[in-house]
Amino acid sequence: MTALRQSFELGLVLCRTCGLALPRTSLQGDPRCRRCRSPIEHRASFSMEMTLAWLIAGMLLYIPANVLPVMHTNGLLGEEDSTILGGILEFWRAGDWDIALLIFTASVAVPFTKFIAIALLLVTVRWHSRWQQHQRTTLYRIVEFIGYWSMLDVIVVAITSALMQFSALGTAEPRAGIAFFCAVVVATMASAMSFDPRLIWDRHT
Amino acid sequence: MNTLLICRDCDTVHRAAPLQRGDVALCRRCGAVLARYFGATAESGLALITAAAIFFAIANLTPVLSIELAGIETQANVWYAVRSLAHGWISVAAFGLAFTTFLVPGAQIALLFWVLAFACAHRRAPGFAPIMRLMHHLRPWSMSEVFLLGALVAIIKLANWVPISAGAGVWAIAALTLVLAVLGRCDPATWWSLASRARA
Repeated sequence: MTALRQSFELGLVLCRTCGLALPRTSLQGDPRCRRCRSPIEHRASFSMEMTLAWLIAGMLLYIPANVLPVMHTNGLLGEEDSTILGGILEFWRAGDWDIALLIFTASVAVPFTKFIAIALLLVTVRWHSRWQQHQRTTLYRIVEFIGYWSMLDVIVVAITSALMQFSALGTAEPRAGIAFFCAVVVATMASAMSFDPRLIWDRHT
Repeated sequence: MNTLLICRDCDTVHRAAPLQRGDVALCRRCGAVLARYFGATAESGLALITAAAIFFAIANLTPVLSIELAGIETQANVWYAVRSLAHGWISVAAFGLAFTTFLVPGAQIALLFWVLAFACAHRRAPGFAPIMRLMHHLRPWSMSEVFLLGALVAIIKLANWVPISAGAGVWAIAALTLVLAVLGRCDPATWWSLASRARA
């Protein structure tokens, strides 16, 4: 087994867009990948700042997304505005615990996991921590992977409203909360994408 | 010359080893996937993407779900769902939904078809590099599989109240998700060598 070396120790750099290993000298004068012409950086610039900015945006947007109603229904049982949490409770009480759990996972557990995980990554990188580097990298990959499943509730509300537009049973219309929730998904995905996981492994001696 | 692989997640340099069917190369330091065996050629890739295009067309032209009440049938698919979100400024959510469930998957299919069709003819597609870069940036925003799950949740949610049935679109989205997942297993470096195959 040879020692594990990082790219710059060998005079190399990675193009994160096309996966090509480039000699650092090829970037002189033109800091772009010779294969795909993407700009190449040693580490993503302003990674921490961008990640933090998107994270804060996501957390702030999450408040109206939960406080405001996501759907307005008008039917035989009367008019009603429902929030995300209200909808989950309704499923739970109606005995559809599986759907309740699924929506809870996508709309509450996933965003919260992302908030906490990204904050943890930011703090530990800021401290130049060498604690659990492997696990923290895995955490980053999990955050990247689960990100877009939060869009589930937006899609469920959209489909429900589409089907219940002029039905005899009543109507369902989207409300402002759903737009905020969509923005939360975008902000948290952008936050995860801005983070450069290589920062976890950089040594500061 | 040995090909070098650099880990996206921890920047560790590895020497590439030949991969057999089913092999996945993992980073020795952080466990990230460095490369994956991908058996497809430009031809089989083109066949897969053509299948994806057909499923995509079916999913968008037929109802995914429909309910019937008092003889009136209401249908829903991606487009009906997008339109139902277009209420005043909530339309930003309609745009988000259209982007992630229609525009991005559609663009992925069209762009991949374009580069692979040229690769099959042993030519480099016009606009090759910008297209490959664009596809790399679009990939995380493709949400067909989330729409599929959303449709299934809606079926169960509404089934208590109304007779609801799944249309051809559900199967088309399921098939599309599967094909896109197979194509998504291919790592960026392999795409580049596969799609840039030009006459020697």
